[in-house]
Amino acid sequence: MLIQLKGGRVIDPANNRDSVGDVYLENGRVVAAPEGREPDEVHDVSGKIVMAGAIDVHSHIAGTNVTLGRQLMPELPLIAASEGQPFGPSPAAWGSYATGIRYAEMGYTTVIEPAMIPTHAIQAHKEMAAIPIIDVAGLVVLGNDDYTLNLLRKGDVKSDELKDYVAWTLAHSKALGLKVINAGGSEAFKFNARTFDLDEQVPEYGVTSRGIVEAMQQVIADLGVPHPPHVHTNNLGIAGNVETAVATLKATGGHPIHLAHIQFYGYGKEGDKGFSSGAPQLMEAINKHKKATVDVGQVMFGQTITISGDVLRQFDGRRAANPKKWVINQAEGNGTGVVPYNYKKKSFVNALQWAIGLEIFLLAEDPWRVLFSTDHPNGALFTRYPEIFHLLMDRKERSRWFDALPEASRQVSGLAGISREITLSELAIMTRAAPAKLLGLTDRGHLAPGAIADVAVYTEQKNKTKMFAAADLVFKSGKLVVRKGTVVDVSWGRCYHVDPGFDRQIEKRVRSFYDTYYGADPSWFGVTETVPDRPDRFATIRCAS
Amino acid sequence: MDSTLQRAADLLAQARFPVFGGLFTDVNGATAALALAQKLGGVVDHAASEGTSRAARVMRETGSTPASFGEVRNRADTVVLIGDGPRERDADLLEKLFPAKNLPRPGDNKRELIVVGTKKGKTPAGIRTTEIDGKNPLPELVALLGAATREMPFEMRDAALGKKVLSAGQRLRESAFVVFVYDPAELEEPVMHTVLETVRYLVKTTRASTLAMSAPGNGDGVNLCSIWTCALPVRTSFAGEIPENNMWAFETERLLKSGEADALVWIDALDGAEAAPPTRAFRGVPSVVLSSKPVKAGRDDIVIEVGAAAADHDAALYLPPIAGIGVVKAKSAKSDKPTVADVLNKIGMLIDEKGAA
Repeated sequence: MLIQLKGGRVIDPANNRDSVGDVYLENGRVVAAPEGREPDEVHDVSGKIVMAGAIDVHSHIAGTNVTLGRQLMPELPLIAASEGQPFGPSPAAWGSYATGIRYAEMGYTTVIEPAMIPTHAIQAHKEMAAIPIIDVAGLVVLGNDDYTLNLLRKGDVKSDELKDYVAWTLAHSKALGLKVINAGGSEAFKFNARTFDLDEQVPEYGVTSRGIVEAMQQVIADLGVPHPPHVHTNNLGIAGNVETAVATLKATGGHPIHLAHIQFYGYGKEGDKGFSSGAPQLMEAINKHKKATVDVGQVMFGQTITISGDVLRQFDGRRAANPKKWVINQAEGNGTGVVPYNYKKKSFVNALQWAIGLEIFLLAEDPWRVLFSTDHPNGALFTRYPEIFHLLMDRKERSRWFDALPEASRQVSGLAGISREITLSELAIMTRAAPAKLLGLTDRGHLAPGAIADVAVYTEQKNKTKMFAAADLVFKSGKLVVRKGTVVDVSWGRCYHVDPGFDRQIEKRVRSFYDTYYGADPSWFGVTETVPDRPDRFATIRCAS
Repeated sequence: MDSTLQRAADLLAQARFPVFGGLFTDVNGATAALALAQKLGGVVDHAASEGTSRAARVMRETGSTPASFGEVRNRADTVVLIGDGPRERDADLLEKLFPAKNLPRPGDNKRELIVVGTKKGKTPAGIRTTEIDGKNPLPELVALLGAATREMPFEMRDAALGKKVLSAGQRLRESAFVVFVYDPAELEEPVMHTVLETVRYLVKTTRASTLAMSAPGNGDGVNLCSIWTCALPVRTSFAGEIPENNMWAFETERLLKSGEADALVWIDALDGAEAAPPTRAFRGVPSVVLSSKPVKAGRDDIVIEVGAAAADHDAALYLPPIAGIGVVKAKSAKSDKPTVADVLNKIGMLIDEKGAA
């Protein structure tokens, strides 16, 4: 069926397009304007904004860690709703189903779960398969696991074993890429470390955090995995940690790297309270390191829950739990920390965190390398995205929020001096084109012929919160799934992964390792085609090598 | 089979408040049961959910500090075994927790076992073991150990036992990684709170965790599935506008006895495990029974034979060694028996068709 979206303002920065025109969809793809054929279905979108479906590069939507968060705080969506952040519409609240519905209503069509635990990949895929409409993918976590650390023990890997092990893990868990969380820090926590820096050594193994990240960058480059290592660096959330982030960027050498939720590393330690904005310093470094990409991890005021494989950081953060309950899960590799948190407008630190995130967005010279995220739910629930878009695109709205912050926070923030307003085209880069490029999902994030027919249509209005909270129309793979902000057709998306080759000898070694130390067989947690219980669920993204 | 499924659909379509009990099934079966319970506004419970429900409530009130089986096995220098439950659930548990070879471990202590309030049982050879037992009830012994760990005063008539408790408390303080092992089905909530608080005292200076034995019948797998579906564990009702969890109100046996439930779906389809049916099940309450074993059901009840998960078909189940959901391959190469998920999904479709007609 040929569908015509007629007369909308098409914002497609990947193809340098910002003009009024038509978009055609057929057989699940965007197609060129047909000659001599009448469309089967016409949607008059004149006066409206047409963009590719949005892509979230970093959102915790599935897996052991998220489920621990749900267990600890099932009431979160109800609290969020009372603060004007509805998670609905499903009465099932904070479940997989509601996640897909709400994302789709906002015009999102692809979301990446960034912390899939290798031994629990089956659960992550089961959960992701219960999320309707959107396409998904998982990034698998390595870097604190004993197998990797043992290979890196002597500082350099003489054989291809690490490369084979990473490739095997990516394939075994059907992951799209690799996530490294506080490299070495979680392992050091097991030996009672309470802090861990870039050049500290992991007890018993001797390797440094820097060494782990460098090794993973090399392996991912050698394997040709499109998405570079997705790195959560050391010292998250600590005053003065901008130095760590800048040092990590300097250490990246010639290989690409993606730094996650960079707002949580944008902290200086100047001023009377020992906490200040490090955003200018951080952005100077990011603007300079052209092979680095970041997502922001914007904070918003209100109740949320923090969920992270950075168990060392979460252990420290437990003291700030609000409400006063927390989970520290000690497990193979990273483990998990789950700590509820309420970001308060009246808090000096929280107000500054909010401002630092916005500064990072607004100081970005290249929106292709500074991607949108809240690190859902760590900075804020993903349901808050429209409010953040509003803040970025409307400096008066920003001032209204900023003026209500504590005097002390305003005095040390540079936000008031930034007049930039993010354009629709820049927003489309940060939320569509750039994530697609970064992930190697080249068939989306744009509207050129051949792209997957994921399209979101919005009514342009001054109030960007309202504009982006409810899309007028959303097409997923060419099918109309949302009309006037409400899901009208519950379809099911696909799951993307890479499948790099490896020497099969690694399977024997890994099996022997698991048998000896865990009494387990790796085949138990291998993700097969049948695991999601949905036909045609998986799609493979090619590696360059 | 089709007419049986139609009868089951007719029965459930008329139900005002059905309960899905037993739930000895794999994750796909649980997914289908949850979907049907949501559709019909019913309850989901699991035959072994007494312990997991208690643990879930403690979790919601205070949190938790779990360690995976692998972490305990490789890294704990002190294992505190509480009660009889753990060894009853797994007779070889201690051998598994004290393997001959382990990964690098924190501290210099030799590995040690402290058993609290348990009957004499097999302990691993070559591992120093302290037994804290006697006439005192288990909750009291756990509280005493907690007090000794915190160096708080306590009195005991049994001086020898008191000395052991004090010594054990000191060992806990000096350990690099203490893990308390228990079965939530055996411990009451206040005892779990005491253990949790002891862990939270210890982690201020060292490592400490808990290892809870998993529930039989894939109880933990079913629970996890319920949580990612609606953020709540089993013993949850979908009758209202939002799901509601209540470990007393939504227990299968009570719902049947009180007459609140007007239909029962009983599921017992796991290889190597058998869910004892509730005492009044299949007597008076219209029932649909999905079972892989011979069933003694009421005359009007609908019995549907299904395959046993992990025997007749591959099954996603909670596996303790990986502390998560894994897949167990089917024992038989080929079985024509339908799965629980097949049957429940088909019943759901028939109910939809009936509603649409």
